[in-house]
Formats: sequence, C-alpha cells, structure tokens
Amino acid sequence: MKQFILRRVVQLVLVVFAVTFLTFASLNLVGDPLFNIVGVLSGIPDEQCEAVARGEIPDTQSSGLNMGDCALIAQAKEQNNLDRNVVERYGIWLSDMLSGDFGTSFVNGNEISDIVRERLPVTVRLIVLAQIVALGIAIPWGVASAYRANRGFDKVSTVGSFGLLSIPNFALGVILLYFFALRWQIFPSRYENAGWWSELQALTLPAFTLGLGLAATYQRLLRTDLITTLQDDFIHMARAKGMTDRHIMYRHALRPSMFSVITVFGVNTGALIGGALVVEQIFSIPGVGTELVEAVLRNDPPVVIALISVVAIGFVLINFFVDLMYGYLDPRVRAS
Amino acid sequence: MSDADANDGTSAVEPVTIDDGMVDDGMVDHAVGKKLGVGFWIAVGWLGVLVATVLFAPYLPFNDPDKLAAGPARTGPSLDNWVGTAALGRDGLARAGSGARGALGGGVRAERAAGPARTGPSLDNWFGTDALGRDVFARTVYGARVSLVVGFIAIAFGMVVGGSLGLVAGYFRGRVDQVISFVFFTLLSFPGLILALLITSTFDRTLRTVSLTLGVLAVAPVGRLARAATLVFAEREFVQAARVIGAKHFRIMTRELLPVVLIPMAALALLGMGVAIVAEGGLAFLQLSVEDISWGVIINDGRGIRDLQENPHVALMPIGVMFLTILALNFAGDRVREYFDVRETAF
Amino acid sequence: MAGAHVAQAQLSVRDLTVRFPTGRGTVQAVNGVTFDLARGASLGIVGESGSGKSVTAKTLMNLLPRTAEVSGDVIFEGEDVRQLAEQGREHFWGVKMTMVFQDPMTSLNPVKKCGEQIAETLRYHLKRAKKTALAEAEDLLAQVGIPEPGKRVDQYPHELSGGLRQRVVIAMALACEPSLLIADEPTTAVDVTVQKHLLDLLDTLRRDRGMSMILITHDLGVARGRCDEIAVMYAGRLVERAAPQTLFGDSRHPYTDALLRSIPRIDQPSHTRLEPIPGRPPELINPPEQCAYAPRCRFAQADCLESIPQISGVAGMHEFACFHPANTDRGREALAANLALGRTAAGLEITGSGGSS
Repeated sequence: MKQFILRRVVQLVLVVFAVTFLTFASLNLVGDPLFNIVGVLSGIPDEQCEAVARGEIPDTQSSGLNMGDCALIAQAKEQNNLDRNVVERYGIWLSDMLSGDFGTSFVNGNEISDIVRERLPVTVRLIVLAQIVALGIAIPWGVASAYRANRGFDKVSTVGSFGLLSIPNFALGVILLYFFALRWQIFPSRYENAGWWSELQALTLPAFTLGLGLAATYQRLLRTDLITTLQDDFIHMARAKGMTDRHIMYRHALRPSMFSVITVFGVNTGALIGGALVVEQIFSIPGVGTELVEAVLRNDPPVVIALISVVAIGFVLINFFVDLMYGYLDPRVRAS
Repeated sequence: MSDADANDGTSAVEPVTIDDGMVDDGMVDHAVGKKLGVGFWIAVGWLGVLVATVLFAPYLPFNDPDKLAAGPARTGPSLDNWVGTAALGRDGLARAGSGARGALGGGVRAERAAGPARTGPSLDNWFGTDALGRDVFARTVYGARVSLVVGFIAIAFGMVVGGSLGLVAGYFRGRVDQVISFVFFTLLSFPGLILALLITSTFDRTLRTVSLTLGVLAVAPVGRLARAATLVFAEREFVQAARVIGAKHFRIMTRELLPVVLIPMAALALLGMGVAIVAEGGLAFLQLSVEDISWGVIINDGRGIRDLQENPHVALMPIGVMFLTILALNFAGDRVREYFDVRETAF
Repeated sequence: MAGAHVAQAQLSVRDLTVRFPTGRGTVQAVNGVTFDLARGASLGIVGESGSGKSVTAKTLMNLLPRTAEVSGDVIFEGEDVRQLAEQGREHFWGVKMTMVFQDPMTSLNPVKKCGEQIAETLRYHLKRAKKTALAEAEDLLAQVGIPEPGKRVDQYPHELSGGLRQRVVIAMALACEPSLLIADEPTTAVDVTVQKHLLDLLDTLRRDRGMSMILITHDLGVARGRCDEIAVMYAGRLVERAAPQTLFGDSRHPYTDALLRSIPRIDQPSHTRLEPIPGRPPELINPPEQCAYAPRCRFAQADCLESIPQISGVAGMHEFACFHPANTDRGREALAANLALGRTAAGLEITGSGGSS
C-alpha cells in the first residue's frame, strides 16, 4: 500500500509538470509570446520603444503609435519574464503558481488569484451538487433495476438511461431551462446568490443538467456490478441469514458493487468540469468556466493559462484521491 | 472526451436476475444467438438518411438556410470550402475572429426590435423560423454538415494517431510503452473540454482546427484501447508464429495485429463520433467552435432566455435532431460493440 | 409408527417439486421429494451435481430464484414456511433455520470485517447493541475453535485461511442459535486437511446444541458416521433413504450401489479397480417417463423404461425407488439376464466384471 501511494505520488508530480507545461506552452511556444499577451502592440519595433525610453518620442498616441504604450510592453515583458528563456520562464511561472501567485490579467489588471478565489467556489459547489444529484439518483435507480434485472422496470430504465446518455448536456440544459425556469418558472433562470437558499435554487437546474447524464452512466455501471455481486454466495448467505432484500441490497451488495462507479468517478469529474463550462454559460453562473470563456474571448492568455492550470491540477488531484479512496474501500486492494 | 457516456462498457453483459446461478450446475444459461437487431438497422437508417440529406442538401428543395443572405452565394463543398458556404453566404472556414459572432448577435437584436416575421413550425418551414426569419430546418440540415464532418474527422484522427501510438506501445512495451502511456495519461489529465478550449484558443477556429482538436481528445481513449488490445493479442500464437518465421516488426504490426485490434476500435468509432459531435456543440456554446453553423451553433443561437421564451422551437428542433443522431450513433455503436463482444471501453 | 414419526418431526417435507422454466424448456430440478427430520437428528443428502440436492436445500431456505416454480409442503415446527408472510420470514430464516454454504471464499462479504458480519445477524434479528453483538461474535468465534478470536473479529475475510473462514461462516450461522442447520457441501471448497476438523466441529456443535442438521454432500463417506440417516438423490428424486449402516451394508438402489463401488474403501486391497458409473447424468429438461437412472443402470429391465419407480418401503427404516433393487433376488435375476444378453434393456453394454461399456 505504501508503495502504491508512493508510485501514485511520483506519477502525480510528473503529470502536474506535464499538464502545466502543456498549458504554459500554448502561451509561450506557439507564436510570439509577446504578441499572445499584448496583441498587435507587440508589433512596435524595439528601437521605437528605446527612443521613447530616451525621451526622443513621447509615449502617447500622438507619436503615431496606436495606443502607443511602450510602458505596457515593458510591463508585459517584465511580468512574464520575457527576457529569459522558456524553461526559466516556465520554472518561475510554475513556482509562482504553486505559491498562489497566479499573476495579473493583462487586459483589466485584475489579480488572477482574486478571480480564482471568487469564481472557483461557485464552480466547485456546482460540481459537488451535480455529483450528489448523480449519485443520489444513480444508487437507488441502479439498485432498483438490478434487483429485478431484465424485468419491466429494468427494461424501461435501460431505455431511459440510454436516452439520457444521448442528450448532450448543453441540450439538456436548454430543455431544463425552457421548461423549469421559463415555462413553469419553478427555478430561477439566472444565477443569483442572496444567501445559500437562493444559490441552491439557482444551482438546482444546472446541477441536474450535469448530474442526469452522469446518473445514467453510474446507474449502468452500478447495475452491472450489482448483478454480478448478487450472484455471489455472500448474498445468498445474507438471505439465509433472513435479511430483507432491501437490507441486503443496500448493506451487503451495494458497497462491493461501487468500484466501477468509483473508478469512473474521477474521470467523470473531468467531464463535469467540461460540462460546467457550458452549463455556466447557459445559466449565467459566474464560475471559473464563465471567466475562462470571457478571458479567451477578450484575449487574455495569462488568465486563460492560469485558470486552466488550476482546473487541470485540481482534476489531477481528484483522480489521485479517488485512487487512494479505491484502496480504502476495498480491503483486498488495501492489503495487496 | 467530455461526455457522460464515458466508461460505460457495461451493456454487453447479458444480465441475470438476482438469484440465478443458485441453481445446480447444468441447467442455466443458454447462449442466445447474436444479432444486431432491428434497432441497429433503424439507427443506421436514420444516420443514412441524415448523411444523404446533408450530402444532397444543395440539390434538394429546402429553404435557403439564411434569407438574409444578399445573393445566392452558397456553393457546394470544394477544396477551399470544405463544407461549402452556408449561412450568410460566407465562407464557413474563413469567417474572421470572434467579433463576427458578436456582430451576428447584434444583428439578431436589431432585427428583433424591428419586429421580424417569426413563426413556429409550419408546412413551409418545417421547424419554424428563427428571430431573423431564417428557416430552422434548413439551418439544421446545413448545421449537420459541419457537425458530421467534425465528428468524422475527429474520430478518424483519433483512430489513426491514437491507434498507431497504442499499437506501438502495446507491441514494443518497455520504455516506449511507458512514454506513450504517459502521453495518454497526460492528455486524459485535462478535462476534455478544457483541453479543447486550450487548443482552439491557442490556434484558430477553423473547421480544420476544431476537428483536429477534438481528434486530439480522442487520441488517448482510442490509444489506450488499442494498446490494451495489442497487449492481449501480441501474446497469441499467430503473432508468435509470425515472429518465429522472422517477420519484421512493422509487418507484424500492420498485417497481424492491426486487423484484430481494429475490430474493438471500429466498434468504438460510432460512439466516439457521437462524443465528438457533442464536444463540438459544447465548444459552440463557449463560442469557440467553427465560425459556421453547426448544430451547437444553432442551438446556442436559440438558447438566449428571450429566444427560448418567444421561439423555443429554434433551439428545441435542432436539439431533437441532434438527440436522435447521438442516440442512433450510441445505439449502433453499442450494438456493434456487443456484437463483437468488446469489453474494454475508453469513451 | 409413521404417524408418530410425523408428529415428532421438526421438519416435514412433502412432495416437494421445483421447476425452472428456461429458454430450452422446463428443468425438473426436484421431483416429489418427501422426508422427515426429527428434532436433533441429522440427515445427509447425497447426490452428484444436478441431482437436485442443493436446490432442495435452497428451497428450504427460500433462496430459489423467483422464476422457480415450487409446489409441495415444507412444515417446520408445525408451520408451513412457504406460506410465511414477509415479516414472519425475517424471524424465521437466519434465526431458526440457517445455512452454511460451500465456498467460504465467497460466502463472506469481502468488504466487511468478520466480527461485523456475525454481529450483524445478532443486531438484525435479536436487536443487540453494537458492542454486545461484537462481544458475542467474539465468543462465537471462540466456540467454533478459532484461535485469537479477539483479533479475528477485526479482520477481513481475505486475511483468513479457507478453513478459518468456513468457521466464521459456521459461527455466523449459529449466531441466533438456530434449531436447524443446513450445510451445503460445507467442506468441498476447503483444504482436505481441514475437512475432517470442520465436519467434526459441525457434529459436535449439533450435539451440544441439540440442533438438527441437513448435511448436503456428493461424498457418501462424508455423510457416513455423521448422519442418522442418508438420503440419496438422483435426477431430482430421492432414490434411496436409510440409516448409514443399512445403506452401506445393504444398499438397494443400483445408483447407491454403483456409488459405493466407485469410492475407494480402506478394507479393500490397495489396487482394487474402482468402478466408474457409465454414462452421463440425465437431462432434466423434459425427461422421459422412465426411471432416470435406467440408461446407466446395469439392472435395467423393460419395465424400468415404462414407468417411474416410486420410493417405497418402511418410512424411517429403508426406502428405495427401484423395480429391480440390488442385493435382492429380483435384482440378481435382472442382472443375470442382462449379463447373458451383454446389454441392458436401455442398451447399455455390460460385461461380467461389472464394469462399464
């Protein structure tokens, strides 16, 4: 077990490097990083800026430079250490990231760590809620369909889960928004946060949008695993012990049947993060996804790569802990 | 890839009731003859109709997908314009920057203020018209071109690149396998849509880039499957035999392994295509997909709260078509997978 | 005599029939099985796989799949258990009647600690507090001869050896002090070296607690000496039933006879050839109206192929279902006739050595 954890930690570190490097590379290795950050301003020749520095040309629009801002360029260069080579820049950037200094937006000057602090909790709450919805639906659903596999309910639910899996989450979001928020007005159509209750209401439809498809995924896995488990002798043993079917399903069969679900739990959190991007758009939720999309659209790469790194590292960590949890839940794995 | 039906390799298992298997030996379980089934052919039929409609759309008596277009600027697909020019008579691949979408949005708003004709579904406009009076059915058909092309290119790319990498990793093992597996692992360490966003925001939003981006997302899942299958088959006698008679690595991989590894991969192609189409739609919702009409774009255009209130059909109709298509792909893919008894799944 | 016997019986099974509808037809798993079990007695049910012995046990324990079609009566301590309502069942199985399964590797829940699993029964049925239940579990583990019970309660099944696990299973079955224990091949899956220990343990526990037991096994030797009575099943029917000494010394049914010849015996010279039973176990789907054993039987006559022999004889003494029983004149005549022909009425070729085709 110790070795298992050690191996996973090494892998974790390597993957964090790889993921952050890929993200960093998108800003720094594709095209001119200065252009990526300041856009057309990067076209200003260095001599001109040197001239500005010497005071020969005023650093204003009147000098003929569009938004003539050598100061801005200098700032961009300095902030991103553009005078150093890529590897050094990556090192500085990563160590800053890991110490919580995510840099600043070049477009609006906002501290990225403030953005993360403000936006991340909303997205995390949405994703947690979506997982709760998914598991809350999938577990009783899976149990019910495995209990009488291939009978009426199970057959209907197979069709149902197949249907749910075939609805893209954005389509489901639009459908739920239309019916539950606009037509029947049960839930708000826009995010609002005047206390936890209103936020919960506002996050209900988004959470269901994300959670329903996932519930179908979990249900199918759980159903298959349960059907296998139910043929095990210890289930017969439990029945011979005179326990009710409900007790047996939930207390005996469920836990040993959760492994597939747990295995995909981490991966599906990734799908949820992607889904959250989209769902935040549909329901105007001010989460990381909305900010990320806005940053992309306003050409703000420092924000984009910082947010992507945060999300990707978070995702890697989740998968790491899921792996550990797997070991915890199955004593047999724990032992080996 | 970012989809809910990830990791669902379960349906192939023919389920049994809670208490079968308690029966004494020799009286349970009779293999049921394998068939693709009627549902499979219905699904394939739908896909066939869709593809045919899309291919021949310019020659069919459909409405113009965009009445605002000044002239008959639409042309069929060509080398320059992969999917032809569609909405607004612009070259779908060459439409400039993100501003265009904003401008279009502005146009929609302006038009709405002027009180344009918008209608629900009718005989003339099967799916109704949108706020600009454009025929939603025609837009859906033209949107299908982009969506299907994206889905196809993405999965083809994933198959070729991921398949080769997986084959090489599974065949040579050792260091090569470690490196390739780590690449897969890294790719999978990004939430799918985030990786897509990273790539499209780094490069551009042409059909080519978007398709290949989604193809990159398919590389790791397909590659893992190919690797796993290769690992299994490389141990089998027919491969050992080829080795014994001194066949070259390349020959063994292409002649002996590829054909058998291709079967589970092919079973996943249909599922993967569905995932890619959905992912494209997701990108469209982030306004990061192609600068042309795809299903995602159409649905995104119709999903504003006012649009939904006044013209729900603009979003709901293409959603319906998209749903049926994904359903057909998933169902057909699932049946094929069951038919070939493919257990490992990566999507 | 018979009437008194029934009145005393703790368990009465009458004409038990179990069928499973399948894709290929209806499997006739158990056919008209009838027997009584006196309080504190032990019955061995012996048969090969597919003979219906396990299905019988599972019927008694209400463990059959819902698809099974069951008829007949199962009267336990005066109550028809098959008619019990859901609530009644809960306080019946696991409390009064329990079962030990074949494979201790699989009959324990892998994700629960041993102690927890035993305690669960106590908490569930007897509403014990968690602590008391765990203490009792430890006590039970000691009773079934598990060393260091205090340590074992906190261990997971995979941490124990097969023999110990089966002891845990037994402890679990005994938790609520049942009056009837059904042991379904309890030693088949464990190491040969611990088989005897387990069987002796079961025997001792049974005697100490005045419990009745049904021991299901494919091994006649296992049942001998540990059961007051042995019932042999073939193709879903009881074919012979007698006390062990009668059965081993004076068997009637040719199947029992063949079984006895097919097991090595300590009193035989060491190179005595064992006699396998020719042919295969019978098909249970739509069986013909004939003695199911006839195709493999060295005694088979024309009448064996015309109707099914019913079990008869003195209840509680010696019963069997055969028209030409072994070790009787009728049987000897039949065998002699068949040997003269070189084949039986069912077409099985036989030779003088008594061997197979």
